[in-house]
Amino acid sequence: MRRGRVWFTPIAAIAVFALTLAHAASTIKLGVAGPLTGDQGAFGQELKNGAIIAVEEWNAKGGVLGKKLEIVLGDDQHDPKQAVAVANKFVNEGIVGVIGHFNSSCSIPASTIYHEGKVVQITPASTNPQFTERGFWNLFRTIGRDDQQGVVAADFIVKKLKKSKVAVLHDKTTYGQGLADETVKALKKAKVKPVYYGGITQGEKDHRPVLTAVRQKNPEVLFYGGIHPEAILLTKQMRELGMKAAFVSGDGVWQKEFIDIAGKAAEGAFITFTPDQTKIKEAQGVLKKHKEKFGSDVGAYTVYSYVATNMLLDAIAATKSTDGPKLAEHIRKTKWNTALGPIQFDKKGDVLVSPFVVWEVKNGKFVQVK
Amino acid sequence: MLVQQLINGLTLGSVYALIALGYTMVYGIIELINFAHGEIYMLGAYMGIITFGLLTTLHLTFPTSGAALLIMMVMAMLFCGACGITIERLAYRPLRGASRLAPLISALGVSIFLQNFVMLAQGPRDKGFPHLFAGEGIDLFGSRISAIQMFIMATSVLMMAALQLLVHRTKIGKAMRATAQDMQMASLVGIDVDRVISATFLIGSALAGVAGIMVGMYYGLINFFIGYIAGIKAFTAAVLGGIGNIPGAMLGGLLLGLIEALGAGYISSEYKDVFAFAILVLVLIFRPSGLLGKDISRRV
Amino acid sequence: MPTPRLSITLIQRPFPRIVLTSLWFGLLSLPLMMELKAPFFGLERPLLVSAGVAMAGLMRLAVSQRGGPGAERVQRMVGSIGGAVRHLTEQIDRRVIYVVAVASAVVIPLSLNRYHIDILTQVGIYVTLALGLNIVVGLAGLLDLGYVAFYAVGAYTYGLLSTRVGLSFWEVLPLGALLAAIFGILLGIPVLRLRGDYLAIVTLGFGEMIRITLNNWDSVTRGPNGILGIARPRLLGFTFSSPIDYYYLILVIVLLTIFVVDRLNQSRIGRAWTAMRDDEVAAEAMGINLMKAKLLAFGLGATWAGLAGVFFAAKMTFISPESFTFFESVIILCMVVLGGMGSVLGVILGASMLVILPEMMRQFALYRMLIFGGAMVVMMVLRPQGLIASSRRGIALGPKDRQGSASAAVTSPQKMG
Repeated sequence: MRRGRVWFTPIAAIAVFALTLAHAASTIKLGVAGPLTGDQGAFGQELKNGAIIAVEEWNAKGGVLGKKLEIVLGDDQHDPKQAVAVANKFVNEGIVGVIGHFNSSCSIPASTIYHEGKVVQITPASTNPQFTERGFWNLFRTIGRDDQQGVVAADFIVKKLKKSKVAVLHDKTTYGQGLADETVKALKKAKVKPVYYGGITQGEKDHRPVLTAVRQKNPEVLFYGGIHPEAILLTKQMRELGMKAAFVSGDGVWQKEFIDIAGKAAEGAFITFTPDQTKIKEAQGVLKKHKEKFGSDVGAYTVYSYVATNMLLDAIAATKSTDGPKLAEHIRKTKWNTALGPIQFDKKGDVLVSPFVVWEVKNGKFVQVK
Repeated sequence: MLVQQLINGLTLGSVYALIALGYTMVYGIIELINFAHGEIYMLGAYMGIITFGLLTTLHLTFPTSGAALLIMMVMAMLFCGACGITIERLAYRPLRGASRLAPLISALGVSIFLQNFVMLAQGPRDKGFPHLFAGEGIDLFGSRISAIQMFIMATSVLMMAALQLLVHRTKIGKAMRATAQDMQMASLVGIDVDRVISATFLIGSALAGVAGIMVGMYYGLINFFIGYIAGIKAFTAAVLGGIGNIPGAMLGGLLLGLIEALGAGYISSEYKDVFAFAILVLVLIFRPSGLLGKDISRRV
Repeated sequence: MPTPRLSITLIQRPFPRIVLTSLWFGLLSLPLMMELKAPFFGLERPLLVSAGVAMAGLMRLAVSQRGGPGAERVQRMVGSIGGAVRHLTEQIDRRVIYVVAVASAVVIPLSLNRYHIDILTQVGIYVTLALGLNIVVGLAGLLDLGYVAFYAVGAYTYGLLSTRVGLSFWEVLPLGALLAAIFGILLGIPVLRLRGDYLAIVTLGFGEMIRITLNNWDSVTRGPNGILGIARPRLLGFTFSSPIDYYYLILVIVLLTIFVVDRLNQSRIGRAWTAMRDDEVAAEAMGINLMKAKLLAFGLGATWAGLAGVFFAAKMTFISPESFTFFESVIILCMVVLGGMGSVLGVILGASMLVILPEMMRQFALYRMLIFGGAMVVMMVLRPQGLIASSRRGIALGPKDRQGSASAAVTSPQKMG
């Protein structure tokens, strides 16, 4: 129909207008990067929301160094090439520090650019060990590493659950397979060899065929490395197939949706995640504000992003500088008391103490296992 | 395990077939690979959730969940049908005389647009689909077949039969076949080609709406991105069976589902798509127009 | 479909038509945009959509009342820009244009910042890719939805040979191109008999098979983790490291591509491809070996993807299967079609647009891809033949060609003029 062809021009016009309003001079700019659109848009927006809350808190206190703070968003659509473009754009615009990216496959190539541009990068979500293994001074992560998490999961399966027939599935992503591989490594150290090891495709909905094959091996535990949409489908479909194995997974599954949508199937699942945020004094503010501002509970990575943003801003305030190396030094040597609990970084920029504990789904809620 | 894998494969295949039917129908008329079809299916699933939400907020409780399901289906069909004809008007009709690739790109634009529109309007997070289907299912040779699996298989067969009847036994079906053969001739003999194509999009999109509800209910989880993989799989299924051919879409869907289930179950779940495509290539080498497609002899 | 029918038959006058259309879009967006918990159920949002549509309709009405239906006017305007460009290129000596274009491509980036240079480098990669795909789709008329596979082959060739064997960029560059060409021919063999959309699905499947294999063959490709620490290219002791170094490197590759593709276009095989594209049967009757022509198209098309892949791996120093998805193939295809199939200049424009446009729209953040998708539809509807339609036939009839190229006159006689 000819008459409708240009119907979104006005939308664009409105957006331009809004943009000109939002733009203000003399601010300190922070970059937040991740997949803001596309199939992983939900995760990118968790990073965004966490950073927004932190920045609003600081702005309410008058900003830092007498300047207001501004967030610049960089959408990488979990495409490494776009991540590099975003990194170059950030460096070019004089971004003081970057919160992001989400995917390890984006954080790693982008970090090279930030390193060259002398910009501090704190990722709230990339757990692949390789990210910090290259010895760049400007990289930090508020989240643990896959190997730290894998050890906790394997330990729990072997010592607490006392199970030895473990099937391992992952979603063929850097995160999912990385976590699964580290868990398998730790299991093998405890002399437990997985009875099944295989990958599924992220985004697909039907995992019954592979689960049927897993069922054949009669595992007592199914460990899954991946994120919550597949975990929801896996738990539902394994129960439908009559499998009784315990479901164990990592922080990518610690999402409200996992319980809400999987329902009964999620009961009794074990998830490795950081300690209870609601019991941490420093976290109360962000949890409440998120509910007020976005109308929902925080996602798994929101608080990581909130903490990362706060560290960066605190470093700016403490060093009275926006110089990358100075900020990095401050972040590295400080003993942080954060909404995630106490955090200290090692030389590489990883969290010193493995933050992971095990949670269980009980009566429709995540409960920390003692 | 074999029986269970066959059940898995047939259900998965029926799901593919449900989406492939609309795909193949649109293709049959205007030879357009409608990339946006997967998105229509996604819209159908969302419409289902929205309708259900409306019903519960208005406290319209029903004696059986079947009534709620029926209303959801009708709403999804209406909505998807309306979207389908609007998209055709907006993005495909102006390109009818252009090269074959122009509407393909335009369809892709529509697909990206719809995905992002739904992401912005409904949020990027996954949504749970209401569980409306009671019934426990039956045990079969030590394997389980659930009620909803049977329901999905039945629906896809039913839909295929209905479509086949529509195309071969009704007046509009006759007009569709004429339009598919030769659009110009059809308009010369008094067929309102625009209207026939609109009707095709209406029906094809309504079918996608039904598929959205069924699949949403089966998996219990939807998000704005479900149309992407579904679209590729449906396209593959439609081509495997002979694109443009309605029983072909059904056959292609079932076959694809079976190949994936058996491949994942017996060989490797990582490489199952590789097997699926390898078999597709093999089939096409021996039958270049798909399993049931007519062998289009070279036009001279 | 009663409502739109109604709107057509009852409402012929423009104003009520605009009202009905805007209401229709408001109605369509209503279920997705309303929110039961919001004040007024969020009804203002679909109303906003309606208002937007009405505004667009009024704008179009305003344009159309100043002569001719609006869309056609815009179409003509866009078309005349393309026409003017082509006219200009025909008027001035082509060599002058080339010199000016190359000179500006060399000089202008010196004044740009690293972000813009990085984007230009990306443009270069995609120009190479799109020109390669143009051989397959634009010239030979074979719809390829898995072109990204060859790009991946090039990238992984360098990634693996650099990290495991230690070969240099310059050694791998021809190797990667050759390997991609071999893969192209390998793909070509089984699909020789297939046509149109059957070909499309097989190429799509081929692309996915390559990507899935790269993602799963952990022992060789390191699976989803990708390959890290790929060596940067060196030349006479100089290491390419800053964005501008890479820009000049891709510029050389692009110029080479343009030169060769343009030559191919004018050559015997180029004419055979177009003849095959327009009518396989007639082409075969004229003595063109279809099998050879198709395999050459796949092979020569894939070569450029291989080159671009090697460069991509060298620039990123990191590659993972995520860069080689089906969507990537589709975007490259869009560049070819939007730019104008068969036209070198058009393809360059198309590639530049599809790289630069999403970057320009970064400021819209979450709305970026929404606008991008919409823009794709609008561009296609306004200009179905692409920004610059192929000018091949015009050149074939040019005075210089007239005496020499008998083959052109034979292969497509009825299409001339």
